[in-house]
Amino acid sequence: MAPFERISVKNLTKSFENADGGKKTIFNNVTFELNPGAVLRLSGASGSGKTTFMNVMSGLIKPDSGSVFFGDTDITSLSEGGKDRFRAENIGYIFQTFNLLAPFSVIENVYAPLAFAGKLPKNYKDKALESLNKVGMKEFAAKKPYHLSVGQKQRVAAARVLFADPPLVFADEPTASLDRNSSELVKNTLLELNRKGTTLVLSSHDPIFDDVKPDIDFDLETGVLS
Amino acid sequence: MKYAFILKAVLHSISHRKFSVFTSIFAISAAFAFLAATGCISFGLASTAVNSSLAFPLIVGPAGASDTTLVMSTLFNTDKPAGTLDYEFAEKLEKDERVSAVFPIARSDSYMGIPITGVESAYINEISRGFSEIGEDIEAHDIFSENGRKCAVIGAKTAARYEMKVGGTFFGSHGSVGDEDSELHDFEYIVCAVMKAVNGPEDFAIFTNLKSVWEIHRHGHHHHHEEAEEDEEDGDHHEAAEMHCVHDMCVDIGNKHHAERKITAVLVKTKNPVFTAALEREYSENGFTSATDTGRTVRKLLTYMNKAEKAAGFFSYGTLFLVMIMVFVTILTSISERKREMALMRTLGIGKLPVSLMIFLELLFISVFGTAVGTLGGHALLAFCKPAIDFELGINLEPFFFTGIEIRGAAYTLLTGVTLSLAAMVKIYRMNLVEEIAKD
Repeated sequence: MAPFERISVKNLTKSFENADGGKKTIFNNVTFELNPGAVLRLSGASGSGKTTFMNVMSGLIKPDSGSVFFGDTDITSLSEGGKDRFRAENIGYIFQTFNLLAPFSVIENVYAPLAFAGKLPKNYKDKALESLNKVGMKEFAAKKPYHLSVGQKQRVAAARVLFADPPLVFADEPTASLDRNSSELVKNTLLELNRKGTTLVLSSHDPIFDDVKPDIDFDLETGVLS
Repeated sequence: MKYAFILKAVLHSISHRKFSVFTSIFAISAAFAFLAATGCISFGLASTAVNSSLAFPLIVGPAGASDTTLVMSTLFNTDKPAGTLDYEFAEKLEKDERVSAVFPIARSDSYMGIPITGVESAYINEISRGFSEIGEDIEAHDIFSENGRKCAVIGAKTAARYEMKVGGTFFGSHGSVGDEDSELHDFEYIVCAVMKAVNGPEDFAIFTNLKSVWEIHRHGHHHHHEEAEEDEEDGDHHEAAEMHCVHDMCVDIGNKHHAERKITAVLVKTKNPVFTAALEREYSENGFTSATDTGRTVRKLLTYMNKAEKAAGFFSYGTLFLVMIMVFVTILTSISERKREMALMRTLGIGKLPVSLMIFLELLFISVFGTAVGTLGGHALLAFCKPAIDFELGINLEPFFFTGIEIRGAAYTLLTGVTLSLAAMVKIYRMNLVEEIAKD
């Protein structure tokens, strides 16, 4: 993977309508830049808007205003299809739960995003098995997700990220409800990618990540960037 | 590769939701099986009726018999005859210049619920396509030449069902099928021949010599007569005389010779349709007989049958439509349940189009597969049940005949399936799944 070009977040604002009709601002006029291989840490209490920020940054949710540039490409101005293609080729995700597509086998979950995008590399099955092997899940390649524990599912999600080797990874509470071993495995996978130049956007309350020094820390609760 | 993977994903998704997909396909299949059965049975009945009406343009029966009774009790063997008439009417018709052939028939006993019909050899020659089995001493073209024997000619399907072979014997229960007043004196018949299949009601019939029928009834008659004489000696003459009239054949107990030559109908071949109309009029107005133009009566029956078929078709279409709505609701519910899955797909960069296309293809698969399985399964079921249906309805069912009602049903189902699939696809396409999940 070639290191991703600089990410520029410019004047990003997002608010939601409350149940009483009022507006709740999640984040307001956020501007920062991330170099390739940087770590952006999102902090704040549950419900402060960390996931929403990730969704806006990855083009899944439209911002009220502002833009997110990946190099020269403003993801907020891309068409839906353009955003889909961009995500499939450039962004990897690991979520707290619901990481895998239930109808697909473990190995298919690893290569599905690129398969749907029509961007599968040669020997993709071997590469997918290699990724699964790195997270200790090779023997489960043919299993369906409902056969796996929460920790095993997270490891498969990590293998998916390894397989796609994207320039940018969003990790949203990736180790919540995992045992120590699984947490270590997921963390090591993310750090390995980061060492190779992958930009990491991390949101986690797990102390296991305390030793990861972010380039930027964005507290969604206070709106402070540091 | 991309579209191959979408197809693979559809199959995975279907396999993952086996139960709901199976239920949906089963519901569509059941509705189609019903549609196939309706169409094939209606067609079988109609074609049998038409073929039979072409063979015998005129039927003459006893006075008071309705057109339908005359047709159903003679050509289809399904209705009880309305009474009897003298054999002299058949002789009179035979001499009529407008008539090319007459076939007197007399419904007699029954065997296993199948009426035994007394006929002459000419009738067998007329309807049969040869014999699969025939007795060594039997003349194929004059099968009932030996008057003294209770010779029986068996229809192909009756013979197959009851394993009746030439030389075998069976006992007929005295009295017509459906005749609640029938007596239970048993008469022995000998199987003289088994007819080859003619693909008509004759395959489900048993024929015997008309003269044997008269002989059987004369015996029955003597038996009753002896009982009556004993009763008479007891001074109960009037009551004994009534007891003689226990069967249609014995209706004219006062005249023994007439009772011996009673028939239930005459099937008539006329030289042209004008003569059919004239003879029908004459034999309906003479006060002793009734007559019907077979073609006209069958057309009337077919009109009713068409109405029944249309009604059945209407309900079948209604059922199919409801089934499709049910399938659509099931899919919509599952879409709602699958929002997270689809949102994850979108997050992973799987586009709106592939995601909504998957839903479209899933629904389309259910519609097409349900229609195909239902159609083929329905016809296969009919093929499996053909012997029983044929026997019960006296028709020759063509289990793999596709009727217009069925083809239209398939077209409507596929059209509805495609429309509903497109609607679901558009709904998914227009949803912002990630925002919806975020709101939840």
